[in-house]
Amino acid sequence: MKKLTYFPGCSAHGTSEEFDSTLKLVLKTLDVELEDIPDWNCCGATSAHVMTENLAYALPMRNLVLAEKLENTTMGIACASCYQRMKVTKVHMDENPELAKRINTTVVEEGTYQGTVDVKSMLQYAYEDIGLETIKSKVTKPLTGLKVACYYGCLLTRPKNITKFDSPEYPVSMDQICEALGATATEFDYKTECCGASFSISNTEVVENLSGQILAMAKESGAHAIVVACPLCQSNLDMRQPDIEKIQGVKYDIPIFYFTQLMALAFGYPIDQLKFPKHIVPVEGALANIGKVEPVPEKVKKPIKAVEAESEVK
Amino acid sequence: MITLGSQGKNTFLDDVNVKSGANVLECYQCGKCVSTCPVSQYMDFPPREIMQMIKLGLRNECYMANSHWFCLTCSACSGRCPREIDIPAVMEAVRHLAIDQNYINDSKKVKEIRKFHEIFLDMIKRYGRNYELRMMAEFNIRTRNLFKDMHLAPKALLKGKIPLGVKPLKSAKAIKRMFAIAEKLEKNK
Repeated sequence: MKKLTYFPGCSAHGTSEEFDSTLKLVLKTLDVELEDIPDWNCCGATSAHVMTENLAYALPMRNLVLAEKLENTTMGIACASCYQRMKVTKVHMDENPELAKRINTTVVEEGTYQGTVDVKSMLQYAYEDIGLETIKSKVTKPLTGLKVACYYGCLLTRPKNITKFDSPEYPVSMDQICEALGATATEFDYKTECCGASFSISNTEVVENLSGQILAMAKESGAHAIVVACPLCQSNLDMRQPDIEKIQGVKYDIPIFYFTQLMALAFGYPIDQLKFPKHIVPVEGALANIGKVEPVPEKVKKPIKAVEAESEVK
Repeated sequence: MITLGSQGKNTFLDDVNVKSGANVLECYQCGKCVSTCPVSQYMDFPPREIMQMIKLGLRNECYMANSHWFCLTCSACSGRCPREIDIPAVMEAVRHLAIDQNYINDSKKVKEIRKFHEIFLDMIKRYGRNYELRMMAEFNIRTRNLFKDMHLAPKALLKGKIPLGVKPLKSAKAIKRMFAIAEKLEKNK
């Protein structure tokens, strides 16, 4: 059994509770044991680094110091914002020991920062440490027929010198995980466009504009659903979708899944454990596509064979 | 107004470069950041113009622009910048300098963005974690916009999307002290 230090992030107890609980189901199947950082605190997310430099580093540093006391040397983070703040802090502290020392003066009781813990997003952990083959081997109910647009957002792969994971422009890790589950990943150009992130509350029209473009592109790619790995992306695309539909005068009806929800579904967990009732946009329509065989490829193939057969006769 | 230092030195450029770790002088004004930026249409000056204004030493104009408040730190610009300049770090440096020196952009939007971040930090200071429902409620009260997003509330609350409470940290005192020391560091800069 593998062990992993776990930082759930504030939204795991709130808006993204379904991400947290399905992640735990999936990791149970994959034989990974999570160890929560004892008494972890908020990473400060967007607001701390917007307003002040010291708190922006100090809040994540406290968690890093607490994680260093645990046995495991890898920290898995569910929320993409938390992941980025934690990783930025780690990289900057490791590059600049003087800064680390200064910030450490605000984090006293917990101990000295050493930089021994590696920080990974759960998507990165699933892709790099667990691997596609292992994921494939656990699939009992393949999601054949479900077409998904994988949306990464801005925080999981950017900036590339900090995250050092996948491509900052056209990442494929989540696409490959979804394909391993039997689903089809569509060609989706807005994979790393910003959804409006923290403007969800303070500047809603920006979010409605940006998330609206993402929904439109996903629909155009032929996807039945969007798959995400970030609580903020999920709530912007899901909760704001009815308003966006009203503004644009279009009906999207695209449910927004966490990739762990689809993994749990393909691993054979019963549907009532996947927290679908929490979604604002109903999921039933998209899930009805699972198991449907598309007639289109066969039609294309048949005439080609017929032509070949005729030419052989001649 | 171009504000130069005593020997005709652009002190603003130096301040931004030191704080951000970037070299703004490397910008050759190609404009790729502007076409990439998801929010440039909302900015007083898009990133390319801010870069040029820093080079020219236009300190007040940069501080008072709303651009650095609208930057979402999505890093799309820096990923595509042919000079590999960390533009979000530059935006952040300008914002921090403006906050330190009490430059306040009083447009309604910037005020709301700032208020949101202040409330968010206040939640962490109080509970050690974010209390989403209270944050949203306080935002509506403090921006005098009580009915914002109220149409979402029944669905979100009934579905349990937004929980009613928050589990405060055991070591909430450590967080409060951390805030106190960080605020002191900020003042002594």
